[in-house]
Amino acid sequence: MSSASATTGGPPPAVRVEGVSKRYGDRLAVDGVRLEIRPGEFFGLLGPNGAGKSTLIEIMEGLRRADSGTVALFGRPPWPRDTSLLPRIGVQTQSSAFFVRQTAHEHLRTVAALYGAPRGAVDRTLEAVGLTGQRKVRVEALSGGQRQRLAIASALVHGPELIFLDEPTAALDPQARRDLWEVLRGLKAEGRTIVYTTHHLDEAEALCDRIAILVDGRIAVTDSPHNLVTASRAPSRVLLPLGLLDAERAAAVEGVERVDVQGGSLVLETHTVGQVLSAVDRISGLDGVQTRTASLEDVYLDLTSRLSGTAAAAPAPAETTEP
Amino acid sequence: MSAYAALTGAGYRAQVRDKTTLFFTFAFPLLFLVVFGLIFKGQAVEESGLSYLSYTAAGVLSWGVANAAVFGIAFTLMQWRSDDILRLIRMSPAPLSAVIGSRYVIALVVGAVQSLLFVGVAMLPVFGLEPASGWPLLVPVLALGVTTFLLLGVIIGSFANTPESVAAVANFLMLPMAFLSGSFFPLDSMPGWLQKVSLVMPLRYLNDAVSHALAGRGDASDVWTGCAGLLVFAVVFGAVAVKTFRWTRSS
Repeated sequence: MSSASATTGGPPPAVRVEGVSKRYGDRLAVDGVRLEIRPGEFFGLLGPNGAGKSTLIEIMEGLRRADSGTVALFGRPPWPRDTSLLPRIGVQTQSSAFFVRQTAHEHLRTVAALYGAPRGAVDRTLEAVGLTGQRKVRVEALSGGQRQRLAIASALVHGPELIFLDEPTAALDPQARRDLWEVLRGLKAEGRTIVYTTHHLDEAEALCDRIAILVDGRIAVTDSPHNLVTASRAPSRVLLPLGLLDAERAAAVEGVERVDVQGGSLVLETHTVGQVLSAVDRISGLDGVQTRTASLEDVYLDLTSRLSGTAAAAPAPAETTEP
Repeated sequence: MSAYAALTGAGYRAQVRDKTTLFFTFAFPLLFLVVFGLIFKGQAVEESGLSYLSYTAAGVLSWGVANAAVFGIAFTLMQWRSDDILRLIRMSPAPLSAVIGSRYVIALVVGAVQSLLFVGVAMLPVFGLEPASGWPLLVPVLALGVTTFLLLGVIIGSFANTPESVAAVANFLMLPMAFLSGSFFPLDSMPGWLQKVSLVMPLRYLNDAVSHALAGRGDASDVWTGCAGLLVFAVVFGAVAVKTFRWTRSS
């Protein structure tokens, strides 16, 4: 309690992680992580496989105990198990974590009862994740995407304030993925805090207020996707239809750093898009010309390849191993 | 609905929807009854004057009930942990007592149905079992037996990570125990030191108590000694179960 709101005086942050480390054998899975997630924030935790995301999330959830450092959710430690804190938290389960031989509705009803949530919440949540049509289908007969949505529903059914989602869109088709984005945006609009991991950088860019990129157990950077892209040194690209300009003339344009042919376009990399565009306009006109600014993916790849070089010799351990 | 009621409901549905397991849970002890009935038809146990059948009926019943209690909870806990169901429950405010309590009720019901079916079949003219006058004592004795062996199953379910290891460990404990505790053959025909070994086995106490209640072997003190023995094992197993319980594979 003492450290909970000592610094700000306001309401405690939804998640506060301070100097958290976790070691497995001689490998430091999480290395001195510090994080603060405000109530109502949509926070993305990104990083390559084996970077320590799952371990860090499980420490935040209170499922694992950190070797050192402190974690507080709404100012209270999640470890050891605190049954008065747990109703405020929702955790997406593995897509295998269903009560066997139950229908989707029976499973979710059981989960709701574990939290003492009202029965009406079951139908509402199934509706929200688009499983109303499958309510009477046995969990074993659900498709991969449906199982994943039921696992997400299990995290939401009791209306938690803080929601942990682990790659919630991994097995979804593009349409289901966009539908889930709407569900997640709806949760954010209700003021809930969402902490989630993903490998979809476009998704993190579209949804997250802030992201942290974890590399080799350390937080490499924490900021809004917008600031990260703006601050990055990754070049923008100008795409010309093939034949508009030959490669040598394009390379001679001032500001062009690299010229390449990709996917039927002549791609010019530059840090001064405006200058290059007006030069191209003067030479050949801008018919069919497209520009691509650096994306979060560029920033992410640049950062992870630069930083993980230091420990590249260590093989990345599998995050989960199914029996 | 309480967490306990919800888990009991889900467990009940899972149980009755798995027809294969359901069938063999109840058919397995009956199979032994038939086999022993055929082998020992008409013979009597030396000196006691009891028919072999009434002797083995009591032994097979106590072994069958104990076996179902051990396997049921051990499989469920192992499966729930490897499917992350336990993690799901761990992240909810539901108490561990609701988890174990719901499985306990299901185990008691399974034990009761097993016993009714078994005694009913054994009383058919082909087998000719005549329950002794103390038969109502079977209810508390078998309930205590289910309790003790369920707690043993909780321990096995906490250590084992695969169905194969549950089966291996549970069989390793339950099968030799069945023979050494006199479930299938009278203890009197074993060497004296083996009879002493059986005293450290919980099934011995369940056997003795059931034998008196159902078949009238020994006297009433067998029931009380049996219950006391089961209670001691229940306390020990319970303490170990609480110490060794794991919510997730990695914790």
